[in-house]
Amino acid sequence: MKKQGRGIATIMFGFGYGEGFPDHSIASAEIEDSGKILIRTAAADVGQGVLTTLTQIAAEVLKVKPGVIRIIPGDTHLTKNSGSTSATRQTFFTGNAVKEASEGLLSNIYHYASIEFISNHAELGIKDGYIFRNDNPNNKLSYWELAKKVAEKGETLKVEASFFPHTDKPDPKTGQGEKVYVAYTFVTQIIEVEVDTDTGIVQVLKVYTTADIGKAVNPKNVEGQIEGGTVQGIGMALMEEQVIKEGITLNSDLTGYLIPTSMDTPRFTTRLVENEDSEGPFGAKGIGEPATIATAPAIANAIYDAVGVRIFDLPITPEKILKALKEKRKNK
Amino acid sequence: MKKMPKRYVGRNILKVDAQEKVTGKAIYPDDIYFDDMLYLKIKRATHPHAYLRRIDINKAQKVPGVVKVITAADIPEVRNFGLIIKDQPVLIGIGQKMRYMGDALAIIIAENKEAASQAVNLIEVEVEELEIISDPLRAMEKDAPLIHKDSNILATHYLEKGDIKKGFAQADVVVENEYKTSFLDQVPLQVEAGVGIYDEESEVIKLWAATQWLHDTQADIAQSLGFPKEKIRIIQPVIGGAFGKKEDISVHIHLALAAMETKRPVKLTYTREESMIAQSKRHPLIIRMKTGVTKKGYLTACQVEVIGDTGAYASSGLAVVHKGMYHCTGPYNVDNVKGVAYTVYTNNTYCGAMRGFGATQMAFAYESHMDILAQQLGFDPVQFRMQNAYGIGSSTPNRQILTRSVGVKETIKEAAYLAGWKGER
Repeated sequence: MKKQGRGIATIMFGFGYGEGFPDHSIASAEIEDSGKILIRTAAADVGQGVLTTLTQIAAEVLKVKPGVIRIIPGDTHLTKNSGSTSATRQTFFTGNAVKEASEGLLSNIYHYASIEFISNHAELGIKDGYIFRNDNPNNKLSYWELAKKVAEKGETLKVEASFFPHTDKPDPKTGQGEKVYVAYTFVTQIIEVEVDTDTGIVQVLKVYTTADIGKAVNPKNVEGQIEGGTVQGIGMALMEEQVIKEGITLNSDLTGYLIPTSMDTPRFTTRLVENEDSEGPFGAKGIGEPATIATAPAIANAIYDAVGVRIFDLPITPEKILKALKEKRKNK
Repeated sequence: MKKMPKRYVGRNILKVDAQEKVTGKAIYPDDIYFDDMLYLKIKRATHPHAYLRRIDINKAQKVPGVVKVITAADIPEVRNFGLIIKDQPVLIGIGQKMRYMGDALAIIIAENKEAASQAVNLIEVEVEELEIISDPLRAMEKDAPLIHKDSNILATHYLEKGDIKKGFAQADVVVENEYKTSFLDQVPLQVEAGVGIYDEESEVIKLWAATQWLHDTQADIAQSLGFPKEKIRIIQPVIGGAFGKKEDISVHIHLALAAMETKRPVKLTYTREESMIAQSKRHPLIIRMKTGVTKKGYLTACQVEVIGDTGAYASSGLAVVHKGMYHCTGPYNVDNVKGVAYTVYTNNTYCGAMRGFGATQMAFAYESHMDILAQQLGFDPVQFRMQNAYGIGSSTPNRQILTRSVGVKETIKEAAYLAGWKGER
């Protein structure tokens, strides 16, 4: 018989390395000859989309189209340390560093342009990579023309910045500290499942996700993170386990180690809670890791709601469900 | 306060690398080719816990196409590597211990993949077997053989907030359970792979191999080889997924050694099997959780014991297991918290970073627990969570006071609304 149930899980995740680790990110913004603005960062894009996020932040601050922004490919010899793509930290850390560098570059554009226009920045306007006096917008200078004039003075339009927030090392005896993590992301998921009581197979039907991420720099990317993270969480909840017996892995391939496929993917409804009340760039917080955390417990709770058995060890395989159902019938 | 709308922030602009990726133009590390390139294969441990007594590479070296087989005897000056502590050897030498099946014994360098694969099977190894410690509870026993020089308990972390005894005394209902999670692989689509070149003139080793932290990987390679940092240049190829698995060194040092040895471009790509056996896993955690709550449904105490199997090497384990413990109450107000977390060496594949870093495993425990408590009290799970959830001014198990951006109650309210939690579905 097929029985449906639903479960909820709400989680928090303290992101950034925290714990007093000297976690920081360095980035720079500069006017390039090629008609582009170059952002230097070593932030690794592992598919999550940090390069897109940084492009949007730089474009926003510098008032140019995203296509004008060029981010250098990661290279130890051409970039400075941006810290790791882990701990859900890149949007927050490198996002802030790029925002800061972009703001520095914009300030310098105003500074040098105000010399050219014999004016001050209150009287200057900026649009799509051009700067002009508000009382004569047709007489305008592009960022790149301005950069040439700056270069003639032996100076450059390049600004480096970093983001280096303080955290506290927790007391080793008690784990207590005033600021252990830079910020926390919160996620709630409600998940509907269908459990086949004859086979023990669980189908995840619908996933409702709400995430307090401060501000989504790119809402589609955030949704993508949540959907991907949830599918990875479905794997953890229902099927994934590297079986290691006496030090030997018994299922070291994707025939023996099952991961969810598109056939296991549920219907998603996602809503973002954005109060913009965070120290992140434009109020953003991280989502990379929090995206996967609520899924396994929400599924465990949904299975209990559906068939009244609770499994305490992951993954919740059909075998475990059938065994628990059998015991439940015996105890009746 | 409603903020001004923005031009690009908050908009769904196309991912900047989308076109390259969907048209197949993106260059992943295994897509990189040079003329004259050599291929590497790694001989792995033959036993999860054993002394290496003899290694015979004669037959392997005679395979046509094999250029060189590097063993530990060739690189006496190379040091251990590791993310937090340097406990992982580059190659296991005679008289040294293999501690898991992913330990490297030799690097085969050949003109083609086939020769390298054939040669790797012809390396003969003699070992002196030791007790295999696959269970962290066994590893913690006093008479268990040591996997490294010091205790098998790599680290113990503590958590104490308020008065746990008082907290349980205030509780009307106490629930205690043990939760377990499994070894997981991050399964990025792209397995570990890279290409290396040694430039004799500048003495710079150039590597194209993915890493989640360029400058940290550079530093670890440099200290292992005893080179200045600037002699190691890593150029990030397009990365085909990571999820924590590409924080650790994988192909990097072996590529560097082979490139220096041969002065030719070298490539190393793991098989999926190798990736699963040799590279980091999500820590399986044993979580013993005891939580107290009043009849009115307010949490008063939470006590946890966490045992994390970190496998043969430390990797990020020193940071993962206690991060799980620090998240033991979830986003709920609990005045009295006590915890202990053990990070334990075993002879299993080493565990490191994976999406959620201990907090993922812990959520399975605390959120299962919340439903069990709600049921025992006769509370609706949503209501029970709402009335315990953090707000501005709440304090975490670390006693960090939350002063801004605490939207947890809104997420619960919105999710319940979206799912139609009250009333008909």
